[in-house]
Amino acid sequence: MKIKIDHKTCTGCKQCEIICSLAHTGSVNPWRSRIRVYVGEEFCYPVIAGPYTEAACNSKGTRMVEGLEIDECVTCRASCPSKSVYKEPDTGIPLKCDFCGDPPNPQCVQWCAPNCLTLVEE
Amino acid sequence: MFGWNGKILRIDLTKGTSWVEAMPTYLMEEYIGGRGMSDRIVFDEIDPQIDALSPENKLIFSTGPLTGTGAPSASRFMVSAKSPLSNCVSSPCCGGYFGANLKYSGYDLLIFEGKSPEPVYVTILNDRVEIHPAKHLWGKESYETEKMIREDMKARFNLDNWALNSMGIANIGPAGENLVRFACIMSDGGRAAGRSGLGAVMGSKNIKAVASIGTGQVNIADVEGFRKAVMAFYKEARDSGDFYKRRRYGTWGLPGRANASKSQAAFNFKDGYFKKFVKYEDPEKIIELIRVRDEACFSCPFGCSKRSRIKNDPEYPLTAKGPEHETMALLGANCGLGDMNDLCSANYLCNELGMDTITTGAMISCAMELFEEGHLPEKDIGYPLEFGNTNMFMLLKQIARREGIGDLMAQGGIAFASQYGHPELFMGIKGMGIPAWHPQAFDALGLQYATCNTGGAHTKSTMPFYEGRKDPAFFVEFTKKDQDYLATADSGILCWIIYHGPEWGDKMAEWLNYVTGTGFTKETLDPLGERIWNLEKLFNMKAGVKEDTLPPRITKEPRVKNRVVPLDKLLPEYYEMRGWDKDGTPTKKKLEELKLEKEGEGVI
Repeated sequence: MKIKIDHKTCTGCKQCEIICSLAHTGSVNPWRSRIRVYVGEEFCYPVIAGPYTEAACNSKGTRMVEGLEIDECVTCRASCPSKSVYKEPDTGIPLKCDFCGDPPNPQCVQWCAPNCLTLVEE
Repeated sequence: MFGWNGKILRIDLTKGTSWVEAMPTYLMEEYIGGRGMSDRIVFDEIDPQIDALSPENKLIFSTGPLTGTGAPSASRFMVSAKSPLSNCVSSPCCGGYFGANLKYSGYDLLIFEGKSPEPVYVTILNDRVEIHPAKHLWGKESYETEKMIREDMKARFNLDNWALNSMGIANIGPAGENLVRFACIMSDGGRAAGRSGLGAVMGSKNIKAVASIGTGQVNIADVEGFRKAVMAFYKEARDSGDFYKRRRYGTWGLPGRANASKSQAAFNFKDGYFKKFVKYEDPEKIIELIRVRDEACFSCPFGCSKRSRIKNDPEYPLTAKGPEHETMALLGANCGLGDMNDLCSANYLCNELGMDTITTGAMISCAMELFEEGHLPEKDIGYPLEFGNTNMFMLLKQIARREGIGDLMAQGGIAFASQYGHPELFMGIKGMGIPAWHPQAFDALGLQYATCNTGGAHTKSTMPFYEGRKDPAFFVEFTKKDQDYLATADSGILCWIIYHGPEWGDKMAEWLNYVTGTGFTKETLDPLGERIWNLEKLFNMKAGVKEDTLPPRITKEPRVKNRVVPLDKLLPEYYEMRGWDKDGTPTKKKLEELKLEKEGEGVI
């Protein structure tokens, strides 16, 4: 299973960040969320936390999405030593999406009102 | 603590200091948050007699227990102060990301006192509150200001892209700096705490912007109950056709509706119909023409706000927020401007300069009528200004920068129209421009505007679409109830694009109970609105604003559907319904009932 993201329909409401932190920590704090939304002018870009990597990448650059240049770090799913996104703010422990249990029941998908996130078979 | 943080952040700009105070328990229990809390503080701490642009005025940013929790649309923050436009207490509301970030920083309220000796901007990162020089930002337009602050904060706090992006910034444009009396506080690239000129209050304190990014948390009492309730609301929202319309069109469905019901404010309220808007009666047309994408405030499942593409003109950016219906009506139909691209440009200009599009529209349409009638000579403006003339874009910039005739217009509609001998041609209430719907079209609307404590505001009561019902008693009761309801909703703070209807009181009590773990019900919430309304009225009376009036065009000239607003008949009934005297003074009995006897001292 995987969470499919249709960034064109994302409105930047960040309810996915809220429910992720609520479901995992019992309180609301987007900094403790495993999904994070980058809000752009032409479109928004939700990214789900992937695995932690020991080393920071050396190829940091920009990526083209829909004809727009965005910082590659924004679209990268990994947390690494040089990227604070996807780490617990107090402890620095890396966070990773767990699909909210087994069988997968991702809360962000359930709370995504514009249906930008959907759970699909791989 | 659940819901609330229980903390007030105070910043004394004169001394350049900040400190944190514990929130008094009664404020949370009796006034909840938002408008209730901040109005109470305005009443307690601001002398109603002061000049609103003096350092003695305070600027209060407030959130509520639901802000940032994920309760649908609970993103909003309220700004309160004494208004330089109406001299009344005023509390405009704004969406975006600022409110939630203030909450995540650990505060429910942010209060600015005094006046900084030189321009500053304030950054709040949890308990790290800093005041920085802002001379380099002074004179910059709203979006540029935000951009520069983001860059500065990136370096200062070592923030990554996501954090920078999540940050909330409230700022003023050149209009606020130049103390234009209808300047607004802008936030997040095109949202505004719009009415009543609080941007000028912010400018008078020499604050260019406040940026907040909070990494803290909000605790919820009943997490499971809350999650289920939100899911149930989503299900309802997905299945409901009415909700679908609100989500799909936002306020773009309204120009057509206003035109069809002949209630479109047009040509300085000389008409209730604007022919050029016929082509936009189907909102899909507007979507097709200008929409780029839907845009939501923090934690709103709707995304009713739209990002639009402006005509291909190097002066304007590729996309910008809006325009919302109020802007289309006041800067559009009311000024005779009927092209959607022009409307986008006018809206963008006002946002960048930081001016309330509604009062600005009322000012310009007044100038247009004065010009057409020959009262305002062309030599005073420098160019012709008939209805529909895009020279008005020049005028917008002149007002914000106080150049030429703009200097006089920046003083507000009454000062401007009086200078040319026709104060009655400014269509405003307590100095604030009348919003989009023509009061003569709906029976209760004139009464709602006239009695509104903050001047002619469109968010302090809803539009009564009750065509055909002739019973004035119904409308008077409707007006009172609705004003009280919305005062409570503003304390929640919930967005009434979503909670728009009779059931909202129960809904708010439900959210509040899940989040705070207290036992609110619709019945316990209802009196709160009435208490707030009376408190605001008492402040206004102490400030010397007593009359509830409408411009003579609305009460004497039958422009729409051949009728006028019979305010002289409706007002006594309304006062009676409120438990006030014949002249609109709250009675001792009423104040006792609302536990406001002490507050009424010196007024009744």
